[in-house]
Amino acid sequence: MDKLRIAVSGGLFALLSIGIVAGLSTGTLSGFGWDAFSLLCPFGAVTSMIAAHLVVPRGVVSLVLMVAFIAVFGRAFCGWVCPVPLGKRISGFFKSANRRKVEQDERRERMLDIARHQLSCGTECSECASCKQRRAKLDSRHVVLGGALLSTVAFGFPVFCIVCPIGLAFATVLLVWRLFANGDVSILVVAVPALLVLEATLLRKWCARFCPLAAFMNLIGRFNRTFRPVIDESKCIESVSGRPCSRCSMVCEAEINVRHPEFGERTLDDCTRCRACVEACPAGALSLPLRSGRGVQEGPVTIEDNVDPSVLASKPAGE
Amino acid sequence: MSMEDGKKGARPAVDAAAVSRRTLMAAAGCSVALMGLGALKYAGTPAQLRPPGGQDEERLMAACIRCQKCFGACPRRIIVPAKLESGVLSVRTPVLSFDDSYCDWCAEENGGVPLCVSACPTEALHLPPEATAEKTIIGMAKIDQKTCLAFRDTGCRYCYDACPYDAIELRTDDGTNPRPYIIEDRCNGCGACESVCVSLTAGALASSASERAVVIRPIEKA
Repeated sequence: MDKLRIAVSGGLFALLSIGIVAGLSTGTLSGFGWDAFSLLCPFGAVTSMIAAHLVVPRGVVSLVLMVAFIAVFGRAFCGWVCPVPLGKRISGFFKSANRRKVEQDERRERMLDIARHQLSCGTECSECASCKQRRAKLDSRHVVLGGALLSTVAFGFPVFCIVCPIGLAFATVLLVWRLFANGDVSILVVAVPALLVLEATLLRKWCARFCPLAAFMNLIGRFNRTFRPVIDESKCIESVSGRPCSRCSMVCEAEINVRHPEFGERTLDDCTRCRACVEACPAGALSLPLRSGRGVQEGPVTIEDNVDPSVLASKPAGE
Repeated sequence: MSMEDGKKGARPAVDAAAVSRRTLMAAAGCSVALMGLGALKYAGTPAQLRPPGGQDEERLMAACIRCQKCFGACPRRIIVPAKLESGVLSVRTPVLSFDDSYCDWCAEENGGVPLCVSACPTEALHLPPEATAEKTIIGMAKIDQKTCLAFRDTGCRYCYDACPYDAIELRTDDGTNPRPYIIEDRCNGCGACESVCVSLTAGALASSASERAVVIRPIEKA
């Protein structure tokens, strides 16, 4: 599934790049389509219409379609279409194996700690405040979204479009192509990808912490009740045996703690449908069913009273 | 992270407020940066040669989301992304380059309806219904008499022959060979003259020249 996702987002990026190179008017992810048919970036459509004081039919139609898509599939765009995670994979490729392992182990330990904490919690959940949602309704991404909107309203143009990493990625393709095909030498051939790299290094975890598009999708994704990860409690290792496992939480791309959602940096509203958790689950307890309701229930796992405390410290089966 | 963090009752350090506070500060920094980027608008940007429908600079800048569709829509490939010289905020917006061809509103390719305008999904390029190619002023042709071959009495008249609007006249000054002059009332900046000017390729004489002898200049708004 991981490879399929790379193929889908990478393939789409390659196709649109071919469109740029071949000089077709297919556009980019910011505005894709032929002739009268056009699918616009929802955030670009909103800021453009606000700035120009226009109601553009193609903008409105795109917005409605995108909202409908997000309502059904949440942030699937981020997991399956957006080229930014691809860039992350490429930069991850240059990380030393050692560094990668250290990061992985860190995350693993963190998730196991959370699992142990919740599993060993003896008190009734309703009485205990330690696991309560303390998360604010809005996070850092919404701050960036607000800044982008405010700037658009104040200065009258879609400011974020200038620095949007998706736009910069396609601009890089265009500029490099023009350099070779038209001999069009410009400092931008270096400046645009440099800005892209700068954003990626300065703003690590861009998607989960800064991307205003993700913030936009999160706001609509809150009303989504379909295709969210659901845990079959009769299969889940943590529920059945009381041992910490949390593999699903270790692999989540969207910084969601799938097993213990109240401890994740992000909630299930931000699920990108990447299915990494489904594949990582050793017990096959996870699925993304059509009617998922709110998904994995918020709140601690309920376990039998007579769990042997020694197993709580042990590693999950199969390690 | 040690086992102690996971002790009963202790909240794991995963969502330590310090981390999220730092992230919030970084996000606030991004917002400030976006405001700063927007404020660059008041630094002023030089006038540009815009495709038909982009003459209302305010509207174009307000609506363009840099989707790159117009570059591919132009059958003559004269719409190119603006460079840094056009101003930081204009970068990647559509401007015209008359190196190889000129704009005839897609008369040959689409019966006189510019394809860039119909391709623009945000209507940043937009023509009022009464607009015509003649009356939509993209820019103004200017002849550099120092580099123009005709002013060296070569008899060159490529621009004169190319102009679709009879906006160039040939005059003989005191018995010289004919020289081209722009009739500004008729020029709409279509770029036909610039696209055929051979001064750079044939006129090795003018070795210091960096552009052709006839060039379309954007019209500075007062």
